[in-house]
Amino acid sequence: MTATLTEPPVSPAAPPKGRNRILPSPVTGQELVLIGVIAVIWVGLALATPAFLTAGSVRPLLVATAPIALIGVGMTIIIITGGIDVSVGGAIMVCSVITAKALVAEVSLAPAVLLSVAVGGVLGLLNGVLIAYGRVHAIIITFGTANLFLFLGLQIFDSSTVNGIPQTFEFFGRGAAGQTLGVPNAFLITAVVTGVAWWYLRHTAGGRHFYAVGGDAHAARLAGVRVQRRQLLAYLVTGLLVGLASCFVIAQGTSTLDQSVGSGKELAVIAAVVIGGTSIMGGRGSVLGTFLGALLVQSVTSGVTQLGWKSQLADLFVGIFIIIAVGTDLLRQGSAGPGRAAGRVRRSLGTLTGRARRPS
Amino acid sequence: MRPARKLSALVALGAAAAIALTGCTKKNEADTGAAAGGAGASTSATTYKVAFVPKLQGVPYFEAMNAGGEKAAAALGNVEWLYQGPTQADAAAQADIVRSYIQQKVDTLIVAPNDPDSMAPLLQQAKAAGIHVATADTDAPNSVREAFVNQATADGIGQALTDSLLTAMGGSGKYAIVSCGQTAENLNSWIAVQKSYTASKYPNAQIVDVVYAGEDQAKATQMATDLMNAHPDLTGLVGECTSSAPGVAQAVQDANKVGKVFTVGLGTPQSMKPYLDNGSSTAAILWDVENLGYLTAWTGAQLAEGKPFAATNDVSPDLSAVAYDAGTKTLLLGPPLAITKDNVDKFNY
Repeated sequence: MTATLTEPPVSPAAPPKGRNRILPSPVTGQELVLIGVIAVIWVGLALATPAFLTAGSVRPLLVATAPIALIGVGMTIIIITGGIDVSVGGAIMVCSVITAKALVAEVSLAPAVLLSVAVGGVLGLLNGVLIAYGRVHAIIITFGTANLFLFLGLQIFDSSTVNGIPQTFEFFGRGAAGQTLGVPNAFLITAVVTGVAWWYLRHTAGGRHFYAVGGDAHAARLAGVRVQRRQLLAYLVTGLLVGLASCFVIAQGTSTLDQSVGSGKELAVIAAVVIGGTSIMGGRGSVLGTFLGALLVQSVTSGVTQLGWKSQLADLFVGIFIIIAVGTDLLRQGSAGPGRAAGRVRRSLGTLTGRARRPS
Repeated sequence: MRPARKLSALVALGAAAAIALTGCTKKNEADTGAAAGGAGASTSATTYKVAFVPKLQGVPYFEAMNAGGEKAAAALGNVEWLYQGPTQADAAAQADIVRSYIQQKVDTLIVAPNDPDSMAPLLQQAKAAGIHVATADTDAPNSVREAFVNQATADGIGQALTDSLLTAMGGSGKYAIVSCGQTAENLNSWIAVQKSYTASKYPNAQIVDVVYAGEDQAKATQMATDLMNAHPDLTGLVGECTSSAPGVAQAVQDANKVGKVFTVGLGTPQSMKPYLDNGSSTAAILWDVENLGYLTAWTGAQLAEGKPFAATNDVSPDLSAVAYDAGTKTLLLGPPLAITKDNVDKFNY
């Protein structure tokens, strides 16, 4: 059986119904709820402060959402495989300080972006290799690398800030140069990456394998999924996205980069993923939800400021969202009852059958 | 097996949060070794070890203080200047460093506390171990510290910020403050002065909001943008610390409101230079940070030698009349400094 699965035969006879059954619906209930909550918040803010729904307010909000949502795409894939990455804050620091120094040395836009993405990729690859082949839980590994990255970042900062960063990255920034047809480029890029990842995770065999790894790695391995390769890929993709997001971070900052860059961002990204409905246990989740989660968090933060409320209320609301999101996820798992494990195996196998039917 | 797996995932999530919250205490171990190693190297009978623990190290502000302290140590000749701080403004990490200096039995321990209240018992512990204790940059008023090296009075800074901003705003209008840590005692004392001074001296001006961005530049910039949107008639912004001062100026620049919305802030000269040059920042209010470090080291030596402070002290050619207030045991560096595009190039930090 394994043999037939590892070499997927093209079987046009397979009924398309079967595919529909194993694919989750395009938009989950949690995502609909998130869209509803965001809509309510935006309408409420528009009524309370007339300036909220103006381009001058929404555009910066979308720009601020972009880095978290972009890294969130990678983090979602990692969490779907049952892993986690708490090193993204440190990775942002390393990517931004190297890239900022390159910008000061008058490196132009495209090479600087490539440099940042390459650095991020190397860091992600390190995480991926250690986790996929080290057989140690991802949280331990990434906690270790988080500290390594911070050490590395601080060494490169060399007890100083990076001053006089030129406007090379204004393409990703808040200003007029950072827009295409009035939409911020950083947000457009994030939306496109999210869309591609959504399609890939949902409609390709390779994408479904991430779910199989998180659903039950053992069953997935028996069924012929290259579990370690999938895990490695998840951390590598996250690293590459951290590299790109670091360019957004530089563009959103000032002409000075200090060592607080990236600090706490791992929690912000994980919060967006969890609020977006991705199960922290792995096996289930969507990048669309993460995108909405990041947008919700930033809307609440901006809304609290624009309403003139106390800044710490934003933390309170985000905390409540996380607890509600995780709570509903646990309830959903609990309601599956004792048949849950069997259901998971079935799901994994169904996933694989899906792969067999759809050659990639 | 299944429940165990679920449990481990939950434990992992909890650990993630714990790590993220406490991770900062671990970060600077690599740096600690080097500094501590150099510390015990040379101790003769006449050399006093003066240790300064900044809120965080590696930022230009405290590095400039360190440079001043080193200058003082070289000039005084009988001081070994030790400098070690956490890599993030974290009270627990700072406490670890203070404890290590207590164990090393330095002669004078000077701290710029992240959290004055939690630092007080540690200073007590240091004093009990026979170490002279003082504070610099940020005070711990309810502690046993023997002196506080004050860069400027809260009145001086609050009034200088308000005067600079309202001169640019034409003496009236609405403005908002983007502050950083909500519990930072010095920032809060300056904000209190800004509020009362604005109310009494500029009756036609109004502070519409005070928001807190932490030490996050991008967040400070976003909050400043949100404030401009929420108050379309806003004509002024104050960045209360070194990360929000360039942040508010960047927000004004991004929103194309240079000349319509004016900003001032507590910013270090080099980080403010581009914004002072393009007009998005009117002035940075600061003090000569190197001189503050110099005075800090000098104070440490005085305490170690057991010399009392005079009402005015001749510290160095630059600091020929440093006032000492015996009631509050405070040494005052002098009036704050307004850094504008005209004098910004005089400072290399």
